[in-house]
Amino acid sequence: MIVKPESLPGDVRREADVVIIGSGAGGGPVAKELAESGHSVVVIEEGEHFSRQDFDFRAGDALTRLYRDAGQTVTLGLPVIVVPQGKTVGGTTTVNSGTCLRIPRHVLKRWHLEHGLKDISEDELNLLYAALEEYLFVKRADPEVAGVNNLLFLEHAGRLGYGGGFLPRNAKDCEGFGVCAYGCPSGAKQSVNVSFIPDAVAAGADVYTGCRAERILVRGGRAVGVCGRFTDPRTGKRTRRLEVRASVVVLAGGAVQTPSLLMHNRICLSSGQVGKNLSIHPCGATLALMPEVVGNPKGIPQSTYVDEFAPEGIMLEGVTVPPAVMAITLPWGGRRHAETMRDYPFIASYGSMISEHDSAGKVVAGPSARQPLTFYWLGREDLDRLKRSILLMAEIWFAAGARRVYTPIDGFKELSGIRDLKRLSRARLKRASIYGLSAYHPMGTCRMGSDPHTSVVKSTCETWEVENLFICDASVLPTSLGVNPQLTIMAMAARAAGFIDEKLESASLREETAGRLERMRARLRSEKESVARRLSGGPGSG
Amino acid sequence: MTMREYFMRRLHRLVPVLIEQVEGMPPVDPDQVTAFAREFLQAGTPAFRLLFYAMMLALQALCLLTRGRSVYSLPPEDGDAFVRYLYSSRIAALGAIPTVLGIPIFMAHYNRDDVQVRLGFDVHGMRGEAAAREVKR
Repeated sequence: MIVKPESLPGDVRREADVVIIGSGAGGGPVAKELAESGHSVVVIEEGEHFSRQDFDFRAGDALTRLYRDAGQTVTLGLPVIVVPQGKTVGGTTTVNSGTCLRIPRHVLKRWHLEHGLKDISEDELNLLYAALEEYLFVKRADPEVAGVNNLLFLEHAGRLGYGGGFLPRNAKDCEGFGVCAYGCPSGAKQSVNVSFIPDAVAAGADVYTGCRAERILVRGGRAVGVCGRFTDPRTGKRTRRLEVRASVVVLAGGAVQTPSLLMHNRICLSSGQVGKNLSIHPCGATLALMPEVVGNPKGIPQSTYVDEFAPEGIMLEGVTVPPAVMAITLPWGGRRHAETMRDYPFIASYGSMISEHDSAGKVVAGPSARQPLTFYWLGREDLDRLKRSILLMAEIWFAAGARRVYTPIDGFKELSGIRDLKRLSRARLKRASIYGLSAYHPMGTCRMGSDPHTSVVKSTCETWEVENLFICDASVLPTSLGVNPQLTIMAMAARAAGFIDEKLESASLREETAGRLERMRARLRSEKESVARRLSGGPGSG
Repeated sequence: MTMREYFMRRLHRLVPVLIEQVEGMPPVDPDQVTAFAREFLQAGTPAFRLLFYAMMLALQALCLLTRGRSVYSLPPEDGDAFVRYLYSSRIAALGAIPTVLGIPIFMAHYNRDDVQVRLGFDVHGMRGEAAAREVKR
């Protein structure tokens, strides 16, 4: 069942086979697989549990309730980048666009060659992907509900000779309400909160919400449980305690929180890789003032893509935002802002995603485990590719008839036509000249590998250093994927669940064998004593 | 008066400087904006809260320095010109002042149902449609 902090009469102390920290793309599949295999499973989730009726088309409220730190999580460095992360049952899957893409072949090859992960074969992954896609109803976005915005962009990209198509999404009977990132109000998006978690609960798992895991209990080099504290969602004050003793601990808090928890617990640090190797997908965005009503955000926000430039590390993906979010992206205030916002029905938008070449980031322990610090430096090459992606989007919007294109680049906030594009194309940007940059999909901070000196977890997702401690989230992905990672995180988690299941089975087999041996020993002991008594002629010797 | 209360009162007076009333749009409601901003800042990081308060002080200091009067007492046209000046400044830090302050202010105003409906996003209709269309696995 799903347990809310207010329903608890006191502190909680309990046992389970597995305790999982986090209920997102990593924690959800592990919980479901193991609960359905008959293991007792406890999930600890820091955020609250919401149902579709709670999602009310107000983006501002959703940011405050469903996102970590009300969506104010940023990287420190140049430029400052906003990295929104979900904090609710289902994790970021509850607030993402639902795009489900498989790992690109060249990325898997790199994992094999550079990280020694040859035992993660393409065939095995494809089997996992296929099973997940079936479970999550993954299919290409329906053009009927793809939204005018996305269709317009795709059509005009095509006319310019840029290839693209409709994105595969985990949505069933989607009507395109346009607010995927603020909680799907119909339950069409098959995020973890409506798929894996309910199924895990149906199989007997317990999910404690509003509880932050603080300590991983380790005895004799083995993980044996987790301690956490519940938080009052209204006051933010810590209230009751939770202690779960378990045979296996699974960390699935995401690529920012997971390394922070390890650092604060001072475990798994010997490789020196915890918190390092952070990769994200920096994103550019353009707004375009069109001559006709576009009607955003109605339609699937991320329904189409243009992958013509994927070999350069640039993916263009649809994005539409409700008024409250568009309002904070416009580079003006006062009258200009109000007048531009009045044109909202005519404003189209599209986004770009960069897979990094020369940027670098890391997560370091902050003043508390709750507030880790994330540093990120956008490299020169990546900055140039970001600029190129913005130029490409602007070119496509102008081809579609845009009167003006708004960009996040200082000095080029408003482009009026091809001449401005040429001017921007010649400009050498400074890192500080891009404002309001956002990035998604933090990965790599507890990377997987075949060498315990350069990686944190084995290919099974078990940590090298602490037995029975598994990490099942984006932090184990050793490199940037270049595509939306939720399906790969789920696949890796489902794969890890198989190893955990084996481990628990062999542990229970070991326990069973040990019990049998103990019973045999006891029988032998009593027989020996009885023989000894007979030989000494004591009572009962007749 | 707590520090938070002090800044919330200032924020209340700042709302009309950043959001200008234009024809055809519902009137700006500083009470609603302040209530939202209070919750948004409370749910956010201490770092952002501090940055936000620092930007309020910086805005006031700059206004006193460049316009010779408090930002809260600028007539609408002067307030608009001052905000425009900051946004268009070549010094990124100056542009950051209204950008940071605008985050909860703009978000609050455009989060309102009546404002969204006026912009063509029929949230009432959508809510009704979503309620009637529960998707089950």
